[in-house]
Amino acid sequence: MRSATDTGPGAAYAILVRDAAAGDRDAMERLLMRAQEVAYRFSLLICGHPEDAEDVMQDALLKTYQHVSRISDPDAFRTWLYTTVRNACLMKRRRRVGEPAHMVSIEQGARSADGGFAELDVADSARGPEQQLQDSWAGQRLQSALQSLPRAYRAVIVMREIEGLTTREVAEITGLSEANVKQRLHRARVMLRHKLEPS
Amino acid sequence: MSDAPDAGCRDLMTHISAYLDGDLDAVECAAIERHCAECPHCRDVVEGLRRTIALCRETGAAPLPPLVREKARASVRQLLARHDAEKSSRN
Repeated sequence: MRSATDTGPGAAYAILVRDAAAGDRDAMERLLMRAQEVAYRFSLLICGHPEDAEDVMQDALLKTYQHVSRISDPDAFRTWLYTTVRNACLMKRRRRVGEPAHMVSIEQGARSADGGFAELDVADSARGPEQQLQDSWAGQRLQSALQSLPRAYRAVIVMREIEGLTTREVAEITGLSEANVKQRLHRARVMLRHKLEPS
Repeated sequence: MSDAPDAGCRDLMTHISAYLDGDLDAVECAAIERHCAECPHCRDVVEGLRRTIALCRETGAAPLPPLVREKARASVRQLLARHDAEKSSRN
C-alpha cells in the first residue's frame, strides 16, 4: 500500500484514477490525455512504428475510459495501461499486411534464457511526413539510437528512463524478474551511450 | 571495443548502473568515486551514461507535438460528449 506521502508518477496516476472514477470530469480528461500520450510514445519509441500511433492512441483512450469506472486497484493502473498499450501495438503488427505468419509478438517472441521474452524485430517502412514530424519531437538522434537497440533492451530503457516506470512495474509488464530488468537496463544504457557518443 | 579495459574496471562497471540509480550504500559509492577519480576511462563512461540518461528523461518530459496533442484532445472531448449525450438520453 502506498503512503499518503508517496508523490511519484505512479501515485499521481492513482490519484487521477480515483478522482476520475469518482466523477471528476477534469481528472478524467487529464487521465485520457495521459493514456494517449503513453500510447503515442510507446508506438513511436518501443515499437518503432509511428504509423500505428493513431490507432493505438484511440484504443488506449477507449479502454482507459471503460476501465476507470470498474477499477479496483488505482495503484495498479499504470502497469495496466502499459500492458494494454503494448497489446494494442502487438495487435496492430499482427494485422499488418505482409507480416510474417510466424510473428508471435511485437515485443515478445520466444522465452529467452533470462526468463523474459526474446523479442523479434520487424522491418520498418519508409519514413513519411508524419514520421518526420515525430522524428523532430523525440529527436532523430535518440530515436535512431533507440531503434538500433535489440527490442528487448529498447523496451526496458524506454519504460524505465523515458516513461519513468519503476523496476517492479517494468518487471510486471515484461514478465522479467526485477534482477533481469536491472541487468537489461544496464546493458541498454551502455549500448545507447555507444550509439549516441561513438568514440 | 569494451567499456572496461582491465579486470578491475570490468568489475566496477557491473555496479555502475546501481550507482547511477542510487542503489549502493555510501561505502560502495565512495569506492566507485575513488576509482573514477583515478581512472579517466571509467570516469568518461559514468559521465556518458549520465548524459544518456538525462537525454532520455528530457524526452519523457517533452510535451507531444502540437498536432498530435490537438488530435488527442479532440478525441477525448468527442468521447466525453458522446458519453454525456447517452447519459442524458437515458434520464
